Amino acid sequence: MPKNRAAIIGVGETAFRSHHPDKTYVELAQEATIKALADAGLTMDAVDAVVFSMAPTQFMGVNDADKWAIDSIFAAGKPFLRVHTGGATGGSALHAAYAHVASGMFRTVLVVGADRISETPDAQHILNLIWDHFYEHDVALNTITMTALSTHRQMHFHGTTEEQFARVVVRARRNAMKNPYAHLKGMITVDDVLRSPRVSWPYRLYDICPRSSGAAAVIVADEGVAKRQCSRPAFIKGIGAVANTVFMGDRMGPYADTELSEIPEAAYAGREAYAQAGITDPIRQIQVVELYDPFSSTQFPQLESLNFCKRGEAAKLSDEGAFEPGGLLTVNPSGGTLCTNPIGVTGLVRVADAALQVMGKAGEAQVPGVRNALATALGGSVQFVTCTILGTDPT
Amino acid sequence: MDVHVLGVALHPAALRIGEKRLEEVVFDTARVALRDAGVSRSELDHVTIAACDELDGRSISSMLLAAPAGAYLKDEIKVTDSGIIGLCMESLRLSSGRFDLGLVASWNKSSKGPFEDVMRMRCEPFYTRPIGLNMTIADGLFAQAAGNAFGITDEEVCAAVHDGYGRAARNPRGLCSAVPAIEEIRASPYVAAPLRKAHQAPLTDGAVAIVMASGRWLKKHPGARPIARLSGIGWRTDGYQLGNRRLAGFESLKGSFGAALSMCGVRKCADLDLVELDSQTGYHEAAFRRVLDLPKGFAVSPSGGPLAQNPYFCTGLVNAAEAILQVSGRAGAVQVKGARRAAAHGCHGFAQQGNAIAIFEGA
Repeated sequence: MPKNRAAIIGVGETAFRSHHPDKTYVELAQEATIKALADAGLTMDAVDAVVFSMAPTQFMGVNDADKWAIDSIFAAGKPFLRVHTGGATGGSALHAAYAHVASGMFRTVLVVGADRISETPDAQHILNLIWDHFYEHDVALNTITMTALSTHRQMHFHGTTEEQFARVVVRARRNAMKNPYAHLKGMITVDDVLRSPRVSWPYRLYDICPRSSGAAAVIVADEGVAKRQCSRPAFIKGIGAVANTVFMGDRMGPYADTELSEIPEAAYAGREAYAQAGITDPIRQIQVVELYDPFSSTQFPQLESLNFCKRGEAAKLSDEGAFEPGGLLTVNPSGGTLCTNPIGVTGLVRVADAALQVMGKAGEAQVPGVRNALATALGGSVQFVTCTILGTDPT
Repeated sequence: MDVHVLGVALHPAALRIGEKRLEEVVFDTARVALRDAGVSRSELDHVTIAACDELDGRSISSMLLAAPAGAYLKDEIKVTDSGIIGLCMESLRLSSGRFDLGLVASWNKSSKGPFEDVMRMRCEPFYTRPIGLNMTIADGLFAQAAGNAFGITDEEVCAAVHDGYGRAARNPRGLCSAVPAIEEIRASPYVAAPLRKAHQAPLTDGAVAIVMASGRWLKKHPGARPIARLSGIGWRTDGYQLGNRRLAGFESLKGSFGAALSMCGVRKCADLDLVELDSQTGYHEAAFRRVLDLPKGFAVSPSGGPLAQNPYFCTGLVNAAEAILQVSGRAGAVQVKGARRAAAHGCHGFAQQGNAIAIFEGA
């Protein structure tokens, strides 16, 4: 039970695309900040502290990217810190802001971040550098090849097919048509996905997220500020996070604590978040999920680990339309990470898009009657997972 | 604040820890902290890490280092500003009501790579990177600005460095370097005028871990023996551009100290028993003494501060460990007699863009 309840009362996002030649990194962060403040009806004077969301700086090339941005986001002189848990960064940053408010030490906190993944000519080279210099660099491990390995395992255990993954992509691109900020969007077919070039078996090009640039921000406030400033805040009802070992080989086989292909970290994080939020029957109590899904194969194991269905059932339910808007559970009405991946803020974008659904501000992508929404973020070798539950009611 | 310290560990200081990989350094330090606290890793409900990818030489370095720090299948978060900001994050987590028993860990093998190249890559690409700004030059600019603002002389700085090495030589947890003569310091070459080479604290390798608990956890574990209480904490970050107002304004230092003092009900810094300052150069110590209005004879960095050991990224958290040891009466040869309340200071960014203060009281 937190000392103070916390809620998201303002959201700001820039458009996400490969390049923003008209804006510097810090100007992107500024645009998202101004939008979030305006959405919350606040000025920066009312913000007590700032959490900056930024993953590896090697993509955009400035080690102190966050400290460079501080003047542009009007944060100079305030308590300020940067969170970085790889791809899970945005989720962790939201959790850090939650701790600021829940502790009672701060009433209003800005969470903001920006990234420019296309600034580097080869993002996957940077993502090769996350691995061990001596043993792993030379075997061409990066985030595509590492998750391709676990996807292979997923297909082996559950018989999931390339077509089933392709349907996830088709749905994501279609959903993104209603999201003005999404990077990739459009009406494509399963055949389009299956005809796209092979990258790393079983992945084809369309199974993989884009390299996005852009920024996102949210304002987190205590219950008093939230009720004063916002007619329908998105209360942070539960948070959970977990870190697993980096070694993928230690996450498979008869002696492993967890099974790599299941994204079991989501079960750990989800269990904790559900307990705080009073979620006992997720499929009935949660209407929308914004899953961190940089690959077409990342949704099914998360849905299963989060108890929306039994292990091995998600692909079949997906085929039946259960995860379409208005279906049994609306999955990634924003288009998700498959359509937009500015890595340092992607987890925050998931939270922001879930908050918009709870606040009734998701525009054309709005799902009717959302009372609870869930957002995840994944990082490292899919070893860091955060889970956040937002709702219309504080308890 | 109802946040308490159960145990602390400092890795033995060294200019270069060559016999261990970084994960071994982190694992060894976390294990000693847990042993000092009398708790097992399985009892932890979270871990907070403060680390720097660029200095660790690996993107997302916590991928490898979270588990050695104790975070395997635990709720883990990483901050990247500095070691002491990890303590700030940890204090928030324990105060939130969500967590009860945690470990905060930070490290830096500064010998591992070209340190000033990493510092230069901190620069934004338009103005500061083309002119080759790095940490030494930023500190030189600071020394000019602070020297002009306060009338700090080379003689005073050389004497401060000499005195600091004298304290550091007595610290069993430090390098115990030979104390240079004042003349020797004064004869060292300029690295960024008016800053001389010997004014700078040498970089070292090191790691630090602290086990902390909420008051709620302590109530449930009456057998546990806290060694200190975190009674105040504050952190602020100034603007990025190194103009004179920023360099000589000390706004984030004053703001963070003010917040921490206010939290523990203390009016001014001089009312504490000691302060461990993150003085990267002699100019820093001379300026900090003036800004914080520390009277003559006040115990400033009894550990020797960065002159005892300076694993740059986590020096502020090393200061926190030293402050904890002081208020728990375990500081050994550098113990300040009767120390009940001690402040630890850490800074980060070019010319101390960010500052953080933690104040500890004896349990």
